[in-house]
Amino acid sequence: MTKEIKISILIALIGVVGLTGYWFYPQEPTKKQDDNSHKLVKEKIILPKYDNDVYKNIPEVKSYIDDLKAMIKSGNAVLPLSSDELDTRAKRAQKLLLKDKEFLKDTKDGNKLLHNDMMRILPAIVSTLDAKSQNICQLHHCYQAEKYNFVTNTTTRAIVDTDTLKVLSVERYSNMQPDISLRLTHIAQAIALKAPEVKKELGFTPSKKDITMANVRGTMKDSPCENTTHLCVAPTFSDHQKEQALWAVIDLTQMKLAAAKWAGLGKTTTPACIGERSLQNRYIMKHFCQKNTLLEKNGWKISYRLTGSDGLEIRDISFKGVPVLTSAKIVDWHVSYQEKGSSSLDTNTTSYIEGRRVEFVRGEDDNYLFGYNDAMGCPLFSTSVVLAFNGPQVKPLHNGNGFMLTQDFRNPKWPMACNYRYENRFEFYDDGSFRVVGVNKGRGCGDHAIYRPVMRIDMALGDKENLYSYDGGWKVWEKEHSEHVVDSGNQEVGGSEQLKREYLGRYPYKIVSSLDKTNGYYIEPNHGQFGDNSRGDNATLFATKFKKSEGDRDLLTLGSCCNLKEDGVERYIRDGESIKDKHIVLWYVPRIHNDSRVGHEYCWADTVIGDDGNLHVKVWPCTVGAKFIPIKKEH
Amino acid sequence: MRRYLPIIISILVMFMAGYIVISKKNSIDKTHIKSIYNIGTFKKQHSCIKLPNFLKRLKIPQPVIIDLSQKRYKGIALYFGKNFRNVMHPKQWEQYGYFSTYSLDSLGNIYLVPMPFISIYPTTFNLQKNIYKIDSNTGKLSIFMHFDDIVPSATNPYGFTSIVYDCDDNTLWCSAIDESDYQHQKGVIYHIDIKTKRVLQHIDDIDVLSLAIVKSSKGKYLLAGMARDNSLYAYAIKDKKAQKAKKLLELPSSQEHIRKIKVEAKNRLDIQAIPFSYTLITQTAQKDRVHYSITWIEKINKWRINR
Repeated sequence: MTKEIKISILIALIGVVGLTGYWFYPQEPTKKQDDNSHKLVKEKIILPKYDNDVYKNIPEVKSYIDDLKAMIKSGNAVLPLSSDELDTRAKRAQKLLLKDKEFLKDTKDGNKLLHNDMMRILPAIVSTLDAKSQNICQLHHCYQAEKYNFVTNTTTRAIVDTDTLKVLSVERYSNMQPDISLRLTHIAQAIALKAPEVKKELGFTPSKKDITMANVRGTMKDSPCENTTHLCVAPTFSDHQKEQALWAVIDLTQMKLAAAKWAGLGKTTTPACIGERSLQNRYIMKHFCQKNTLLEKNGWKISYRLTGSDGLEIRDISFKGVPVLTSAKIVDWHVSYQEKGSSSLDTNTTSYIEGRRVEFVRGEDDNYLFGYNDAMGCPLFSTSVVLAFNGPQVKPLHNGNGFMLTQDFRNPKWPMACNYRYENRFEFYDDGSFRVVGVNKGRGCGDHAIYRPVMRIDMALGDKENLYSYDGGWKVWEKEHSEHVVDSGNQEVGGSEQLKREYLGRYPYKIVSSLDKTNGYYIEPNHGQFGDNSRGDNATLFATKFKKSEGDRDLLTLGSCCNLKEDGVERYIRDGESIKDKHIVLWYVPRIHNDSRVGHEYCWADTVIGDDGNLHVKVWPCTVGAKFIPIKKEH
Repeated sequence: MRRYLPIIISILVMFMAGYIVISKKNSIDKTHIKSIYNIGTFKKQHSCIKLPNFLKRLKIPQPVIIDLSQKRYKGIALYFGKNFRNVMHPKQWEQYGYFSTYSLDSLGNIYLVPMPFISIYPTTFNLQKNIYKIDSNTGKLSIFMHFDDIVPSATNPYGFTSIVYDCDDNTLWCSAIDESDYQHQKGVIYHIDIKTKRVLQHIDDIDVLSLAIVKSSKGKYLLAGMARDNSLYAYAIKDKKAQKAKKLLELPSSQEHIRKIKVEAKNRLDIQAIPFSYTLITQTAQKDRVHYSITWIEKINKWRINR
C-alpha cells in the first residue's frame, strides 16, 4: 500500500468520523427556534393612547364626515364616488345604481338611513359574472360596482350593462369587505400620518412618500382590525435598512388608529391576519399580566398589575414616602336581576339566559333574583369573563387636583345584551386622598339589575390598625363584622361639638394606626357628591383580620350572585375574630340599581344610528366607591 | 500527478458526502411545529362505536342528539323523537358540572371531558381533573379516571379538553392543557387503555383542543387541533405509539382554534373552529363557530380550505 493510498484512507476515515459526529451532534434547532420566538415576542405593539378627537380635524376626515351628514340629511344613504375616480361609463352606472331599488335595498333600518359608500366601479371581470351576464357582456360594455354598508358590514356587488343601462345582477355578501375607494385610501393615509403614536415610533414626521401599501388588495381585504366587523386598512412605513416595517392599522369605520405594530419585513412576521384584539392581548399580557408596573406621579408611588380574576390591582402605594395601601382591587361583580312572582317560581327547572345557566334566589315581597358572578382580568390565561381592553391608563382628574389609574374591562360583544363593561379606577389626589372606584357601563340583560362590586382595600398603616365608626362618638370595631353604610351626607349626628368637628359631617368611618392616631384615613362614602352623576353607593362595609388566603392573592368568585342578604364576604367574618389593634382588611360592597328608562338611564348602554348613518354606542355609566382622606390633612 | 489521485478522490468524496450530510440534516424538521406534512389520501371509515344500550332498554328511538351546549341543561342531555322535542336528562348527569366533548366506545359507553363555565366555584378545578363515563347499560354517570397531576388554576382554569376513542385497540386519546401559561406550552396528550386504565403514552408540551383519528393510504394518524394557534397537526401512529407531530395546515385567521375534526368524505375534513384564549370566555355557540371544509388535493399535494 503506497503512502498516498494510506493518506487517502486516513482522509476518508477522518471525514467519516467527522460527518458522523456532525450528524449526531445536536444542532441548535431549539436555539434557532428560540431565537425566532424571541424575535416574535420582541415585536413591538403600540396601542393608541391619545384621544380620537385628534383625527376629527384632519381635513380629509372632516370633509368626509360633513359629506356623510349632508348626505343622510338629504335622504340618501350611499356616498357616491367622485367623478375623478370614474370614467364616463362608470359615471353612468353609478347614476343608475343610486336609483336602483334592489341595489339600495339594504341601506335602511326602519326609517333610519345606514351609512354606505360606493367603493369602486370598473369594467366587469369575467369571473364575477354569471352565465347569462357573460353572454350579454361579451357584446356590451358591462361594469361592476361595489358598495359597502358600514353598519351591517356587508358588500353589495352589482353588474350593470352600460350600453342598455340595465342592472344585470345584484348580490350581497355579508361580513365581507371590498377594496376601498381612493378617497378612503387617502383618508387612511392622512390618519396614519397624523397619528401621534406613528410619529413617535418613526422618530420623524412622516409624509405620504414614506407610506407603502404593498399588496394593497390583500391588505385591504384582510387587514387586521377589531372583530373584523370594521373596515380597516394597514398603511405601512418600511425601514429596509433595519428590515422592519411599522404597520399602522386604521379603522375606517371609526376613523382612528386602531393599533400599530413593528414587524419584520419577512413573510412570517407579516401581521396581515392578526387582529387588533390579538395585538392588544399580547401587549397586555406582556406588560401588565406578566409583571408589575411602577408609577410615580405627584408624590404617589404605585405598583400595579392585571390579575387573573380580580381586575386591576394596585399594591404597595405610598404618598410622599409614607405607606398608604398594601393592596386595593375589585375582586368580583355580583350581577342579579330582580323579578316579581317568586311564589310561582319553579326552581326545579334549570334556566338559561344567553347560554348562561342562572341561579335563582327567592327574595322578599314576592320578588326573586337570578344572575351570575363576573370576574375581570387578563385577556388570556385567566378565569375571567370580562376581559381587559387596552392597558391601564393614567389620566388627569377633572378638577385637575390629581390623577387616576384606570382599566377598561369588557365582554368581547359589549354593548350587546347580556354583555358587560366595567372600569376599575383608582383616583389619587394631590392632598394625599385616594378613591377606589368601580364604574359599570351596562348593558347587561335588562332592567331591574342590581350590581354589587366587591372592593377589597388593605391599608398600610402598620401591623396594628383600628377601624372606628361614628355614632355620636368614635366607636372602635372590636370584632370582625359588617354594617350597612348610612348616608352620612343626610345623617343627623349627635356627640360633642369637638367630636362633630372631627366627624366633619361626612366621615362615618376612620381607620387609624394604633401607634399613631394621626396616621390614618377618614372614609367618605359616595352619596353623589363627587360630581360624577352617581346615585350613591348604598354600600355595606366589612372589616376582617388580614389573612393571606382571604384575597391577598387572586380570589376566585366570592359567594352568591343573587342572595341580596349576603355579599360573599360573610364567610370571612363568621368567626368574629378580634380586629382591635390588628392588621385590618376593609371590604366595601356598593349596591347599584340600573335604570333603562329613557332620560333616566343609569348603568346602561345602547347602540343608536347617528346623523352620519353610522352606529354609535351611547353609555350611561354608574360610578361608585368611597374616598379616603388623610386625617392629618383635616387637622 | 497520478500518485495523488487517490488523495484527490478521497477529498472530493468527503466533500460530496459532507454536502449531502449537511443539507440532509438541515432539511430535517427539528421541531414538531414546522413542516407541512402529507398524510396521504383518506376516506370516511366505518366506525366501531355504537350508541348506549340504555337507549334500547328505555325504548328511546334513534336518532338521538347528544347535547353538551350547556344552554338548556347542565352536564349532558339527549334529545330524541319527532323534531328532537323529547329530552333525557336525569339529575345525576348534572353531578360533575359542565362537559365540553365526548366519545363513544364499541360497547356504547360515553366518555366525557369537563370544562369550566362562566363562574368558578370551589369544586370547579377538581372537576377538571377527571375523565367521566356514562355506562352503556345503566346510564349512570361516574368518574372514569382521576388525574392528580392535572392542576387547573386561576391563570388557566382548564384541565382535560378533548377525547377520542380508538377502535383498533380499545383505547382513548385525551388531551389536557392545565399546566400551560402565556409563555409555556405544557399540555399533554394521554393514550389510555380502557380495560386497565393504564396510561400507555404521554406526549408532552403540546396544547390540544380537539382530537380525531384518521386512516389514510400512508397509515393511521391522530389529528390534533391546537389550543394555542390556528393549526392542525398529525401524529403518525406506529405500533400503537404516536410519533412526532407534523403540521398539516393553518386556518386563515390566527384567532380560529380547531374545536372539532371530522372526516366527511374522501380526502375531506369537516372542521369547526372557535375563539379560545384560556379564559372563561369560550365561545361555543353555533354563531361563534366557523365551519371549514378542508380538502386534500392529491395532484398538487395541497389542502384547499373553504369556509
